[in-house]
Amino acid sequence: MTVRPRPRKSPRRLRAGFARWLVIGFFVVFVFAPLYWVIITSIKPSSDYLTVPPVWFPARPTLVHYTAALFSYRGLQGLINSLIIASASTILSTVMGAMMAYSLARFNTGGQHLAFWVLSQRFLPPVAIVLPIFLLFRSWGLYDTHVGLIIAYTFMTLPLSVWMMYAYFRQMPKSLEEAALVDGLSRWQAFRMVAAPLAAPGVAAAAVFVFIAVWTEFFFALILTSRYAFTLPTIFRAFLGFQGMQYGEACALATVSLAPSIVLGMLVQRHLVRGLTLGALRG
Amino acid sequence: MDQPATVSDRSSISRYRAGAVSAWADRHFKWLMVAPAALLMLALSVYPLLFSLWVNFVNYDFQIPGHDFVGLQNFAQVIADPLAWSSLGLTIVLSVVVVAFEFVLGLGLALAMVKMFRGRGIVMSILIIPLFISPVIVGQSWALFLQRPFGPADFLLSVLLGRPIAISWIGETPWVYIAIVVADVWQWTPFMFVILLAGLAAIPPHLYEAAELDGVSAVRTFLYITLPQLAPIILLAITFRLLDAVRLFDVIFMLTGGGPGTATYTVSFYLYQIGFQQFHLSMATAGSWLFLILLSMVITVLVRRLLRAEAA
Repeated sequence: MTVRPRPRKSPRRLRAGFARWLVIGFFVVFVFAPLYWVIITSIKPSSDYLTVPPVWFPARPTLVHYTAALFSYRGLQGLINSLIIASASTILSTVMGAMMAYSLARFNTGGQHLAFWVLSQRFLPPVAIVLPIFLLFRSWGLYDTHVGLIIAYTFMTLPLSVWMMYAYFRQMPKSLEEAALVDGLSRWQAFRMVAAPLAAPGVAAAAVFVFIAVWTEFFFALILTSRYAFTLPTIFRAFLGFQGMQYGEACALATVSLAPSIVLGMLVQRHLVRGLTLGALRG
Repeated sequence: MDQPATVSDRSSISRYRAGAVSAWADRHFKWLMVAPAALLMLALSVYPLLFSLWVNFVNYDFQIPGHDFVGLQNFAQVIADPLAWSSLGLTIVLSVVVVAFEFVLGLGLALAMVKMFRGRGIVMSILIIPLFISPVIVGQSWALFLQRPFGPADFLLSVLLGRPIAISWIGETPWVYIAIVVADVWQWTPFMFVILLAGLAAIPPHLYEAAELDGVSAVRTFLYITLPQLAPIILLAITFRLLDAVRLFDVIFMLTGGGPGTATYTVSFYLYQIGFQQFHLSMATAGSWLFLILLSMVITVLVRRLLRAEAA
């Protein structure tokens, strides 16, 4: 094996390389800046809030804001509610979505119209339907209940889960299911025991995207809950206006809320393009 | 999709199986599979839309009892409200501005990231973080970062520019608009970036090799190869982003609360205020229908373009 000397880079190449790193570096700093500030503030003692220059790292980090946020601002209750509601809607949306996606992908059920009707739901602005849903929920006793919000979120995330898994099922070969049918399995069994397990990676990715979507949602929760079934994002209302220096509590709660969805997001990074475009593009 | 072979399989198998129920279930299988999701969507989108269609033409106001037929009065109220128009104007301007910024920055970032380099995986993971954060927290975080006297933004600017800066980012126009744009661009540039990067990676490399052999300049390569190849994906990314941008609510709610005064009311925030703070439900419903009609015209144009681009 011969070692070739590295070719000298032309000035144009060098400049292009420099510009590349400048762009990337700028963005990394831009992404980190507010996050760093929030996370650092969550462990700052209150005396460090208003100093000039700002305290970039507290000399005496503290966790008091976390306990205050979780117990005095009902953060713990919000956290539990968010977990219950996000988990339940994820399961419902994924199961119902997988069934519909399978039917659309394999049998072209309802033609293009049904598939596009589902997609169009994704672009319906929540403000256009939330008012009647609010009235409906009040008359059915679903207002400010876990069940109500779970139903709303299952509905909200169905276009995402259906279209993501639709793309996945379509690229799966049919031969195994056909073999299962020949062996005497019912259609449902062929779906449950053959197609669904084969699609497990796609189903899991869709489930994670659904969970993140519900975990971070604010508008429906703001309108459909109040004192009881409130989720984590709605608690931030308490910090509006910032009377009484609750910076630390707000930041602690933000940290508690953003950590799980970022961790989950990293897990499905590979499927991100698919998730963002509802399966229209493959990453 | 359904091939004739499958259909005959199904009927032959159901002949072998005992039990009329399962035979019936097998025959209607494709519709039974669609039913749960479709029924839920009917219940929570078609029903509310029909219900609100009725609300449009009656009095439905928590401050005025009864549901009398009022004709077009609800629509007239919205159209006569100058705040409705300024909210619509701001929504359009903000959406176009943020999507333009996000597109340009996302494309720049995608071009910078398309080549392999050491540590690319880690940089990738960092750049996509904003996509997984609740918009409420994004609004909250930027409020904390920008707001005087607590946030470090003014201090950092003073150091960078070498002179004291005291901007009230949240409380004064035009700074408040910049704050909203920054927060939205922070959250959604990664969206453009990720999609455009996937598009760039899918351009066949032989096109670039041919251009390099012919000695085509970098700018011309970009204009005559990259952009046309990327066009359908650009259209897709912009369509998706624009349809979300017009809903802008969470960041407004947390960052500015519509203020100062009503300077940062967007359509969603305006309708929320009318419907859920002032409880003029029928007026808010009429407003949301007008918004929906406007929006569906935009969607029709964009989606038709999108389908044409994909067919090509």
